[in-house]
Amino acid sequence: MRRIYILALILILASLLFFTFYDLIQPKEFIDDKAQISEYYIEHGVKETGAINLVTAILFDYRAFDTLGEATVIFIAVSAISLLATKERVLVSDTNFSPIVYQGISFIIPFLYILAFYLIFYGHLSPGGGFTGGVVIATTFVLLKMTFGIRYSKEEKSLQRRSLIESIGALGFILVGILGIIMGDNFLANEGAGFHLGIAGQLLSAGVIPILNLFTGVKVGSGLAIIFHRLVREE
Amino acid sequence: MIQLIIYLLLFFIILTAFFAVFANSLISSLIALSILSSNLVILFVILQAPDVALAEVVIASGITTGFFIITIDKTGGRR
Repeated sequence: MRRIYILALILILASLLFFTFYDLIQPKEFIDDKAQISEYYIEHGVKETGAINLVTAILFDYRAFDTLGEATVIFIAVSAISLLATKERVLVSDTNFSPIVYQGISFIIPFLYILAFYLIFYGHLSPGGGFTGGVVIATTFVLLKMTFGIRYSKEEKSLQRRSLIESIGALGFILVGILGIIMGDNFLANEGAGFHLGIAGQLLSAGVIPILNLFTGVKVGSGLAIIFHRLVREE
Repeated sequence: MIQLIIYLLLFFIILTAFFAVFANSLISSLIALSILSSNLVILFVILQAPDVALAEVVIASGITTGFFIITIDKTGGRR
């Protein structure tokens, strides 16, 4: 009986998904009201924010408050998991991999770090951004701990340092937002708060967006690493 | 041609979603979810959304799978 309910639910959701993509494949005429806002972003986005990646321009300038909310969701998840999974002892994984795995992971970790920092620092120029780069940073922690065992890094000190780094990320994001208020504009204002936009397309441009990217990446990366660390502990 | 590829991907997404719900062991349904998000990544790239594709490939088929594996292992749901 339960399976029939699940089947009906799946059919409804699948038909929703199908019709969404069906409209995308054969686009109908857009209603004018819907087309106006996207055309505004396409026309004025680069001029107003200085970021040539319009998705990042919307995420970290026009809708930066939503991004703050997304980062707060990760903070809440970290708090809840730290509350639920507080075990003292740590299970040392006894799994022995073949030397190929150890050497391969050691070889690939620096490249993953380069990818993560590229995604964070070039977030306003190319696809990517702070959120994605932060998750890649957390993935390196997961790979290291899965391969070399939990005791590879010093336990409590690194955890405290990581939660400190996460708090610095969250506080930095909010402080940049409050700076906009102090300079006489909205919360998280970019150009209106007097930040120099620079030439669009250069690395140091787009005013406050790279700083927000960096804070978001640091916060998401350390937060997910803390979640993994808490989950992997065992009595 | 591109429409055929999109239809195939959508069909495969629905197939893996069915498998993820009706699979017997949690690990197999987890792997099916991972394959689903990989297909979704290809679909996003075809539909020219590289930002969403990057987020999907890193979060959905990367770190979520790892977290789920640990959680299933710890709660003893592995059958």
